[in-house]
Amino acid sequence: MEEKVKVSVRHLTKKFGDLLVLNDCSFDVLDGDLLCVVGPTGCGKTTFLNSLVNIYDITAGEILLDGQKVNTKKQSIAYIFQGDSTMPWLTVEENVSFGLNIKKLPKQLRKERVDKYLDIVGLTKYRNYYPKQLSASMLQRVSIARAFATEPELLLMDEPYGQLDIELRFKLEDELVKLQEMTKTTVIFITHNIEEAVYLGNKIMVLTNKPTTVKKTLANNLPRPRDITSPDFIALRNEVTDLIKWW
Amino acid sequence: MKEESKENLVCGLCAITSVFAFLLVWYLGCTFTALGKLLPDPITVLIGMWGYIVGTVGKCSLLMHALHSLQRVLIGFLIGSALGISLGLLMGRYRLARAIFNPIFRVIRPIPPIAWIPISIIWFGLGETPKIFLIALAAFANTTLNAMTGAESVDKTVINAAKMLGANEFQIFTTVVIPSAVPSIFAGLQVGISCAWASVVAAEMVKASNGLGWIIQAGMDNNNMTQIISGIIMIGLGGFILTYIMRTIEGVACRWNRSGR
Repeated sequence: MEEKVKVSVRHLTKKFGDLLVLNDCSFDVLDGDLLCVVGPTGCGKTTFLNSLVNIYDITAGEILLDGQKVNTKKQSIAYIFQGDSTMPWLTVEENVSFGLNIKKLPKQLRKERVDKYLDIVGLTKYRNYYPKQLSASMLQRVSIARAFATEPELLLMDEPYGQLDIELRFKLEDELVKLQEMTKTTVIFITHNIEEAVYLGNKIMVLTNKPTTVKKTLANNLPRPRDITSPDFIALRNEVTDLIKWW
Repeated sequence: MKEESKENLVCGLCAITSVFAFLLVWYLGCTFTALGKLLPDPITVLIGMWGYIVGTVGKCSLLMHALHSLQRVLIGFLIGSALGISLGLLMGRYRLARAIFNPIFRVIRPIPPIAWIPISIIWFGLGETPKIFLIALAAFANTTLNAMTGAESVDKTVINAAKMLGANEFQIFTTVVIPSAVPSIFAGLQVGISCAWASVVAAEMVKASNGLGWIIQAGMDNNNMTQIISGIIMIGLGGFILTYIMRTIEGVACRWNRSGR
């Protein structure tokens, strides 16, 4: 069976003034992919992700989602940011419901979705709490539940676990894999952590140093749950590390 | 929790003690120094105030005068703050609105309400309207500035998150910018209500037949120091009560802004 292309990026170029950040990036993301994007520090990974969804206007190129130009108002796209992006004036439940309210979904459906995703991320008993009363990992889980609750066609994640300690990171990585396998959502996950990329992705895209281009995309068919000490895991991790090295 | 209650009790006792200490110093100053020739002591003032409360000053009792002032303050404050918050939010969110209104606002803002008295009398005559106009002006400046600051400082990540969840500009304004600016708006309202209350005195001292400003003015005309001090005390109490009410409303509206549970 032919696999469907979800996101098609052609000749993506982004300049800030005279500074060329993204240079002629072209790639495809298939439906249901969990694509991890890695690259050297400061290579423009966040710019890359923001350019995909018009947070930044692109200088040249074309980005298509399901064959149509990306439009965040018409297409269902969710984005989990590097820092906390919860709305402090809303409770956990209201935060998760935010995207559903915007899309004016029926009340009953909204409630079902909120209950479902709060349960999945383990925040049901914190549903009436405000963000100020939660820890960093709980806040990130609220963002994850909020993103998945909209059942997006495309989910973008920008180093969402970068500021968490290792134990919480592992826990949230497992939650993400579980949710992604369950919903089959297409995910583009930016990280600077090679081990995280190999642990999560079914594909790993390596970016070059600035001006950034796509160096190589590797398939990752390691069975889940993945063992980070297995020889295959270590071999793939080393391969990605070698690709990132620019020194 | 016990520790907190103990701290609250100590703070409460300190507050009460400081008030009594102030009254004692005032009393001793009036009794044993030349200050007594210029100022009635607190007991005389309290007795006088009680007389004004149960009896009349001019046409009505002291409390009725306070209510007249309060009515003017509330009307003026509501008009001024509604306009100020609307303009501030627009200027904080939209560069074009800021470009159009900010230069005029920056010039008007430092002008004290009292400077508008002659113009307000020429424009609106000597009735209630000029008084409400002056009070509205006093509330307007502070609420505008704070609402603008609040709308300007909304976290860009939160706005981008809302955009990604499909919110259009109107939805971002109503569901992100306004709620996010609420603490800043309340900070402006706090200052605005104090300024409005202060301005009512100036407004009533010009031409009025009731209100706390009139009490002070009439006291000065009759050389009645007890009446003047009574008016001043009522103004202080009124400001204190209004600020307290505003803080209580803020506590409810911004309950999300407190950490802990």
